[in-house]
Amino acid sequence: MKSGRWITETGSSTYLSEAVAIWLRDLRGEFRTRYAVNAILMFAVTTLIAVSFSIGSFRIGEAEQPFLYAVLLWIILVFSALSGLSRSFVKEEEAGTMDVLKLSARPQAVFLGKLFFNLTLLGALELIIVPSFILLMNYEIKLPGLFTAMVVSGGIGLGGGTTIVAAMIAQASARGALFSVLSFPLLLPLMITAIKGCEKAAVGANNPGWPEVRIAVAYSIVMIVMSLFLFPLIWEE
Amino acid sequence: MIAKVLLTIWMTVIIVAAFLYADAAVGFPGETSRILFFHVPQAWVATLSFLLSMIASCVYLARRNLKADYLALSAAELGLLFCLLATASGSIFAKAAWGSFWNWDPRQTSIVILLMIYGAYFALRSAVGDPEKRRVFAAVYSILAFVTVPFLVFVVPRITASLHPEDTMNPAKPGMDPKTLKVFLGSLLAYTGLFIWILRLRLRLLNLEGMQEPEFVVTEKMDLEGEKQ
Repeated sequence: MKSGRWITETGSSTYLSEAVAIWLRDLRGEFRTRYAVNAILMFAVTTLIAVSFSIGSFRIGEAEQPFLYAVLLWIILVFSALSGLSRSFVKEEEAGTMDVLKLSARPQAVFLGKLFFNLTLLGALELIIVPSFILLMNYEIKLPGLFTAMVVSGGIGLGGGTTIVAAMIAQASARGALFSVLSFPLLLPLMITAIKGCEKAAVGANNPGWPEVRIAVAYSIVMIVMSLFLFPLIWEE
Repeated sequence: MIAKVLLTIWMTVIIVAAFLYADAAVGFPGETSRILFFHVPQAWVATLSFLLSMIASCVYLARRNLKADYLALSAAELGLLFCLLATASGSIFAKAAWGSFWNWDPRQTSIVILLMIYGAYFALRSAVGDPEKRRVFAAVYSILAFVTVPFLVFVVPRITASLHPEDTMNPAKPGMDPKTLKVFLGSLLAYTGLFIWILRLRLRLLNLEGMQEPEFVVTEKMDLEGEKQ
């Protein structure tokens, strides 16, 4: 197993080195097949084009723009993420590599590796979709710093909240639909927070301390820590 | 048996008292305040059973005791049922008092998220074939969902500025009319009794079904380890 070689090569096999090994292995696999990237990006681009084409940049009045555009942006981001993030675990199940992975790394390391991979995917998604959205919709943002922080922290929350769900649904039937059904209630607080934060950034509201960013960061930390606790239970079944 | 009869009589007494004995509270349009005797106990039972389900899930993960999973499942089912009842009765009150059945009041928002979470919980349970896995996954998901709930406090806009009577015209504050208080407490008792009665029925049913389940479950991948129970 190539993944096995990576882990032994690192010598001192810490959680982090195992996680990084899994992350790099997934990245290499992704570069070869480009399955998840294609699925997520095409979903996002298609939705973005549909939204942009049907609404255009002048349809929504200037007063409503900051809020409605934030809503649309986050709907595109969340649902694109839900369309492909389950891939990280589903592909192990489909390729039959789940058992080898269980043998070659500790559960928490597997979780972290998959989390890194999902965050990489989300980073790529946001890097492409957010600027295109701003350009296509003429989205005026008064506070770019807050906006960037919100998008980044929201992305981390998205990955943190869905990775463990992906691990569960990979072992269930009706995977695609189930992933969205299970993830959405968990993501709803984050999504509403992110929409509010982006709206404030667009309006340029006086917003000391960036509470929305802090909520998103807190959410990410809580979800990732809880997942680290709970992941071994669903992984070693 | 006797408990069942007593519960029926008690429930009847409460329903009659709710309409005839207690007075309608001041400050509410017409007789709408009588919702207090039905809606609040429903919401209370829903909260109680979701909490119970959460705790039972934790116990199941720690001990792998089948009974704990049965409790988690049946409490979640009853929680969903009472949550739906509370949503429906609350929405009727909303129409009478606020003018529309649904207006995304903070209470309505949070109850919808609760319904979504437990809807997903049952979707997960029905999608996992292996019984052992199903129980663990369901427990894990219910803990994850529970963890996200506190964030709703920040998220739901101005959660304190709800139209919900608790904030605007609370009949349950210390100055509550003694007659109303009596019926209200009686109703809480009746609903809790009803909950315990249905819960025990459901648990008995699950136990019987569990006895019929084959000892070893062969999954798709011929995993003969099966149930550890």
